[in-house]
Amino acid sequence: MKVKEYIKYYIIRSITFCFLLLSLSSCVEEATFSNTPQGNFEELWKIIDEQYCFLDYKEIDWDAIHTKYQKRISADMTNEGLFEVLGDMLTELKDGHVNLYSANNVARYWKWYEDYPMNFNDSIQRNYLGNDYRIAAGIKYKILKDNIGYIYYESFSDGIGSGNLDEVLSYMAICDGLIIDVRNNGGGTITNASKLAERFTNEKVLTGYICHKTGTGHNDFSEPYPIYLEPSNSIRWQKKVVVLTNRRSFSATNDFVNSMRILPLVTIMGDKTGGGSGLPFTSELPNGWNVRYSSSPHFAADMSQIEWGIDPDIKVDITTSDFNKGIDTIIERARTFLKE
Amino acid sequence: MKKITALIIILIGLSGTISAQCDSLQANRYVTRSTTYGVGYTNILDTYLSPQEYTGIEGRVARETIRMTKLFNGHISLQNFFQANLSYTHNHTEDNNTFAGLVNWNYGLHYQFRINENLKLLAGGLSDMNGGFVYNLRNSNNPASAKVYVNIAASGMAIYRFKIKNYQMVARYQANVPVVGVMFSPNYGQSYYEIFTLGNSDGVVKFTTLKSQPSVRQMFSLDFPICYSKLRFSYLWDIQQSKVNQLKTHTYSHIFMVGFVKDLYLMKSKRGNPLPENVRAY
Repeated sequence: MKVKEYIKYYIIRSITFCFLLLSLSSCVEEATFSNTPQGNFEELWKIIDEQYCFLDYKEIDWDAIHTKYQKRISADMTNEGLFEVLGDMLTELKDGHVNLYSANNVARYWKWYEDYPMNFNDSIQRNYLGNDYRIAAGIKYKILKDNIGYIYYESFSDGIGSGNLDEVLSYMAICDGLIIDVRNNGGGTITNASKLAERFTNEKVLTGYICHKTGTGHNDFSEPYPIYLEPSNSIRWQKKVVVLTNRRSFSATNDFVNSMRILPLVTIMGDKTGGGSGLPFTSELPNGWNVRYSSSPHFAADMSQIEWGIDPDIKVDITTSDFNKGIDTIIERARTFLKE
Repeated sequence: MKKITALIIILIGLSGTISAQCDSLQANRYVTRSTTYGVGYTNILDTYLSPQEYTGIEGRVARETIRMTKLFNGHISLQNFFQANLSYTHNHTEDNNTFAGLVNWNYGLHYQFRINENLKLLAGGLSDMNGGFVYNLRNSNNPASAKVYVNIAASGMAIYRFKIKNYQMVARYQANVPVVGVMFSPNYGQSYYEIFTLGNSDGVVKFTTLKSQPSVRQMFSLDFPICYSKLRFSYLWDIQQSKVNQLKTHTYSHIFMVGFVKDLYLMKSKRGNPLPENVRAY
């Protein structure tokens, strides 16, 4: 009987204690700002301050940026004016993964390729692909006249299946070498890039590291976590490969190049990649505008930053004289290299 | 004709059997089972997806069984409560939406304090299992947030029986508070790609307490007879909150539900089914 009374007492006390604690604990809310020019400015500044991953690496004084752009905020400014100011503030980050989206515009930073030679022209590319090229999912491919295989992967947003890659590589098996052209490939899904890269290694290789933010501080990062490229258990390429790059090889394509450059039979040729090593996240302002920002940095295998791009093994630009003749200097250089 | 006559005789005999059993009916075999459907308002915050709150409509279905056990001289009841909800919510400016869903299963025991003939107070504990998602239609590499958490919850209930004219009504208030548990949560700025594709799962499963998960599910229900059935109206005030890995989440739901209640009597098949196999539905 005593035990039963004790249990009753214990149960009642425990539940009373729980409800008391619960009543004392506050609601879980996020402090947000009002939907005013000032409120939207503060929210955007705070999102970048707490969640953007390259503030210290790029040596950006974000507090000073607040002071600088605060002067341009007024209560009666138009949406267009506010968008311009906030867009300008974001360009200070010099990051192609940073955008502000409103219903009628996208603020962006594209100087990472706008200030450089294009080194790619799709009209000239047609001189090589012709009209009889083959298409497998997101890949266009053809065997060139000198028995060099040419693959063009325009966007890693376009999915590619294992069966597609088996077909492409089987078709190319007779070739003396392979060109993988990822110029103007602005990225997409990293797993598509990895799916392609794993066809060119026979062993598991360390390709880089990834970190994520663990808190709101500029240096609150997790321990670097290794990223490995594992060999495909299907058809793997065993001959020389040249990967063609230009400044518009960005984001997931930057990661693809970072993986491929480690492999012994692979040579990177063309221009420096555009970079974009931060995995982008999305957030939102009180007025509904979306903001995209780099959240999670990728590093090279030696822990060096690849945010600003990856240098090619062999630097080649399309020359003006070749351009005028409809010749792609970079493809030609790759063909020569593979025939050597 | 002979078969129909035989069936009638069997059914008459069966009714007699059931009547004859009344004296020996066991309380632990009475089961009160309800299925209710509801709709209401919900407010969702998940800072992994957005610092803004999303509000909108939620639909919910709930199924509950409750019965006495033989434990503590028949003072312990067993509750089995399953619910699932789906919501469609919008931001303040109504230019983005989220879908969210959660499946919740509570299973546990209450000690029943019979205050008088009409009032019972129940206190006990429940296992509280949850799985769901919040999906933001506009986000890039953080498009969704998975909800997986398991708790031991303290639970209190008050059941009051009363009559209005000849109608027997039952009012019930219940509140469940998770005390300790385990929750899945990505780290502050961590992508699901890093967790599931690359395999970095460090710190994504965290112990929770009242401080990090100050949640409560409250329900008020009213049962009353309609013809030969029992109807249930209920109001759910469901507060699910968490502060884990510096990410904040909440879901505040106000749901009005309606459904039917059935009182069933369980028969043990090992003693033989009273209905012959050739006339049973299954």
